[in-house]
Amino acid sequence: MPDFSLSPELESLRDMARKFARTEMVPHAAECDRSARFPEEIYRKAHALGLMNLNVPAEFGGTGLSLLEQCLIVEELAYACGGMTTSIIANCLALEPILLAASPEQKQRYLPSFCSEYHLASFCLTEPGGGSDAGALRTRARREGEEYVLDGEKCFITNAPHASLYTVFATLDPAARHRGIAAFVVPRSAKGLTPGKDEEKMGHRASSTSTVRFDGVRVPVADRLGAEGEGFALAMRTLDQTRTPIGALATGIAQAALDHAARYALKRETFGKPIAEHQAIQIKLANMAQAVHASRLLTWHAAWTIDRGQKGTLESSIAKCFASDAALHVADEAIQTFGGYGYMKEYPVEKLLRDAKLTQIYEGANEIQRTVIARELLRGYA
Amino acid sequence: MEIVVCLKPVPDAETRARPLPDGTRFDPEGVKFVLAGYDESAVEQALLLKEAIPGSAVHAISLGARSRTDEVLRAAIALGCDSATAIEASPAAFEDPIAVAAGLRAAIEGLPHDLVLLGKQSGDEEEGLVPGALGELLGLPHFGFVVDLRWDATSQRLRFGRSTEAGEESWEAPLPCVIGLQQAWNDPRTAKLPAILKSRRAPIATVRAPTGPPEGPTSEPARFELPPPRTGAKMIEYRTPAEAATKLVRILSEEAKVFP
Repeated sequence: MPDFSLSPELESLRDMARKFARTEMVPHAAECDRSARFPEEIYRKAHALGLMNLNVPAEFGGTGLSLLEQCLIVEELAYACGGMTTSIIANCLALEPILLAASPEQKQRYLPSFCSEYHLASFCLTEPGGGSDAGALRTRARREGEEYVLDGEKCFITNAPHASLYTVFATLDPAARHRGIAAFVVPRSAKGLTPGKDEEKMGHRASSTSTVRFDGVRVPVADRLGAEGEGFALAMRTLDQTRTPIGALATGIAQAALDHAARYALKRETFGKPIAEHQAIQIKLANMAQAVHASRLLTWHAAWTIDRGQKGTLESSIAKCFASDAALHVADEAIQTFGGYGYMKEYPVEKLLRDAKLTQIYEGANEIQRTVIARELLRGYA
Repeated sequence: MEIVVCLKPVPDAETRARPLPDGTRFDPEGVKFVLAGYDESAVEQALLLKEAIPGSAVHAISLGARSRTDEVLRAAIALGCDSATAIEASPAAFEDPIAVAAGLRAAIEGLPHDLVLLGKQSGDEEEGLVPGALGELLGLPHFGFVVDLRWDATSQRLRFGRSTEAGEESWEAPLPCVIGLQQAWNDPRTAKLPAILKSRRAPIATVRAPTGPPEGPTSEPARFELPPPRTGAKMIEYRTPAEAATKLVRILSEEAKVFP
């Protein structure tokens, strides 16, 4: 029989993340959102407590958590602030290609310093001309002796202005599309690597996002991950691992929206009674609760599937797609429950809507998730 | 220095308290018990002393239902305590301060102990009786309401303050002794994620509390009631502080009859 209860071990991880989220993140969430401030002091604390490189195995000094454990933590962090959570978990995304494809020598070279000291890494796949069409990369890698030379531009790169390491996907042969791509590890100090200025974003404003330019950046062959031509598959395998925590992130935002709405509904009175006693609001809250609960269970199930060693492409796409759509809807309904106050920046729910929106777009737009779901689904009928 | 720190599992502050159907006590069903408040400060104090005095060790002990003691003991291990001992006792002993002190003594006597630290009171019942009773049973001096505890290696004495209604006192005392600490003056640390994971596999020793008289339970709770729901606040409207004060005094003396 499936067991939906959390062991005391899982509960203690979740409780620790909850405590960090409520004491360290919540008090600064509104201010960082308003001023688009990147709260490095909070990220440093998260790193010191082991909340940052969750997927890096303990042998390299990381926390080495299962995907289910990561999801429990990510949901708690996102309950406090989606933007801060995106920046805290961006290392997991950027380091995942190293975990999947680096040689033992490369892992030893890249990973321990990330765990022993506070460093940020950025995952550089998306380009101005191609987001979802990741096979159409324009960033070029040319082999010159024992080096590659990278030229091109990446965009929407999380933490890029603050990162010390970049995992970069570039094409050796644009005509070969998916089969022409290779992955590289590039330090911030590499000549010709230039992060752009911080983008002004709708939500996730405590996170930092910019372009990264590569102008003749020379990368030793020793810093290539896997073989030439295997880069696209590596990017997809990376996203297979990191998609599920986005479901958890969306669930955290949705749970926060539901909690705000339910508390407000019990307090706010119209027509002589709390609005929670009006059926229109009860139906809203009931629908929101269903969406949150389903998001969490789909996320846990996808994590459980992948933790059992299965690929989980279908499950993780369903979880990410459902939970992010649900988060937007639940945040919307929370604003509606608050009425005019919900539209005011003085209240916390409009931020949730802006933060929820991104979860439908990044780490594979929901249109791509649906394409993937349909493909996996139809395979079973063909 | 060998330090024993005594921990009481208390209901999470987010718990919604309700009485048992028979009205005698708090209903623990579905309630999460945690390391909190005074005891977090006691653990922090023990760890600060350990860090300041090379070769020291901190032994965490806790009395109560096993599922609850194990959680607070693991939390203490994750924070940096070196050993953990659970004291098993009959449920009747959990809420009786003398029986709790007797159980703690049973564990402390099996451990090296130069110093026994605990919160000056628990975070739930707040009776504040256990530290004094424990000092008495161990035959050691007891100091309560203690803050800012330091070890003076030159004089080989503890130096500390006591916050009382009469003022701030400065004390020093030789070891061994029992110290009841004030809450939250030392900003308790947060456990790191890897330490939490490791604490799940830490061994927890078991000690049985004495059951017979005179150290068995000497009291039992009669009733547990929630405070009556609060009624609405009364807002005083005013233009000047003087007007607010005048109106407040009138309400306090004429309506609330606080002043005769």
